[in-house]
Amino acid sequence: MASTLRLYLTCIRNTLEAAMCLQNFPCQEVERHNKPEIEMKTSPELLLNSVLICRNEAEKCLIETSINSLRISLKVKQADELENILTKKFLRFLSMRAEAFQVLRRKPVQGYDISFLITNYHCEEMQKHKLIDFIVQFMEDIDKEISELKMSVNTRGRLVATEFLKQFI
Amino acid sequence: MILLQSHSRFLLQTLTNRVQNLEKGAELDCHWVEFDDVRYHLQASMKNLHILLLSVSLPAPPPETIFFGGLPFGAIEAIKAAYGGLVQILDPPRDGFNLTLKLNLSKLPPNEEKKQAFLVKVASVREVVLGAPLRVILKHLASRTVAPDMDQLVALVHRQNESFFLVPQVDKVTVVYPMRFNDSIDIVLATSFLQEFVEARRAAGLNNAPPCLWSPSPPLELKGAPADALSANAGFVTIVIFPRHVEGKKLDRTVWNLSTFHAYVSYHVKCSEGFMHTRMRRRVESLIQALDRARPDLENSKTTVNSRSFKRLSLKDSRSNSTS
Repeated sequence: MASTLRLYLTCIRNTLEAAMCLQNFPCQEVERHNKPEIEMKTSPELLLNSVLICRNEAEKCLIETSINSLRISLKVKQADELENILTKKFLRFLSMRAEAFQVLRRKPVQGYDISFLITNYHCEEMQKHKLIDFIVQFMEDIDKEISELKMSVNTRGRLVATEFLKQFI
Repeated sequence: MILLQSHSRFLLQTLTNRVQNLEKGAELDCHWVEFDDVRYHLQASMKNLHILLLSVSLPAPPPETIFFGGLPFGAIEAIKAAYGGLVQILDPPRDGFNLTLKLNLSKLPPNEEKKQAFLVKVASVREVVLGAPLRVILKHLASRTVAPDMDQLVALVHRQNESFFLVPQVDKVTVVYPMRFNDSIDIVLATSFLQEFVEARRAAGLNNAPPCLWSPSPPLELKGAPADALSANAGFVTIVIFPRHVEGKKLDRTVWNLSTFHAYVSYHVKCSEGFMHTRMRRRVESLIQALDRARPDLENSKTTVNSRSFKRLSLKDSRSNSTS
């Protein structure tokens, strides 16, 4: 792993550890409602400052926090057209399975590729540090998966081309 | 299967089956479709067991290609040369088809090997018909001449309403494919595949393979082509065929490969998409497992559900309770 990537991930991990102190907080406007405040944004006093962590222009991570929920949005690097398409395809594939992931948001926040929404309920039923481990592993896996997918497309392309051209010799 | 086979597997199977079980005399009537909108129809009746009718419909030709009576030029001659007297061309063909052949199974060669070879030949009827004009041009290349009545730029149909182009010259034939795909993902994958063709040609073992070029804009050879043939969303591939690529037995293979180039690329694009989906599904599973690890003691929580906090009374206990 490149050292810059490790620094980037460590920074995200530390920020998440600090940010993930969520508590149960019923809605202030409507009785007996309990909504993630970061999504509703009804009262400014419940929102905290958001943190933006950038590795470079193409890769960044936005962490928005409120009293009872936390939103993490990721932007994955896309060097060329092929990576762009693979990233889109893979992340769409994941978002469509958001139900199985629980903490995954169905739609990414605008300007980002994929978002997580963590509420105090998630923190109650899962261990906080393991949840952070999952987010960090998720980021590593996405990068790995996309570069592996790209490599497999290129390898297949080369094999297909070689076999075709061999027919003429 | 990396390369596409020139015979239709289903047709070959059906024919072999028919020949082996000729005495049983079952009725046969089946339709099927192959890639690039080639449709087949095979029919045999109870009345005359030895007669089979095979109809083929070809992709609709774009206006720039030359078609005579529903068939590409040179097709009739190619069929006659390939099948000889065993096959008759019916005129007019069946409704909705471009060509109907009448096969007489009683005239098959008695030798098993020759019989099988002939059936394979019949099953590759698509190659014979669609590849006929290409074969004519490449034959001229092999003898280093140009057919006298040829245009500068020859268009040949390979998909529905789409054609590829040939520039026949005395010492080489330049083949240009405008590559079109419907899906945006297909376009990107195909583009990277096509660039690999150019790269692969530079490899050491393929020095004698035909030179291969890819460009996003139409090459100079297509100057005289109609405007709607010049729009291709995955660029243009140019393959230059020299006489050494069409010598002797290589001709058949070259004709087949050139006429199904688009199908070949498209097939592999779809294959790699399928492969990607398998991979992504596996990755989703491993990620879900990673998330499950975050739950505290999944097994323990299950056992606590089973060990109930209340005591269930048995029938005997309840009786004793009620009496007391």
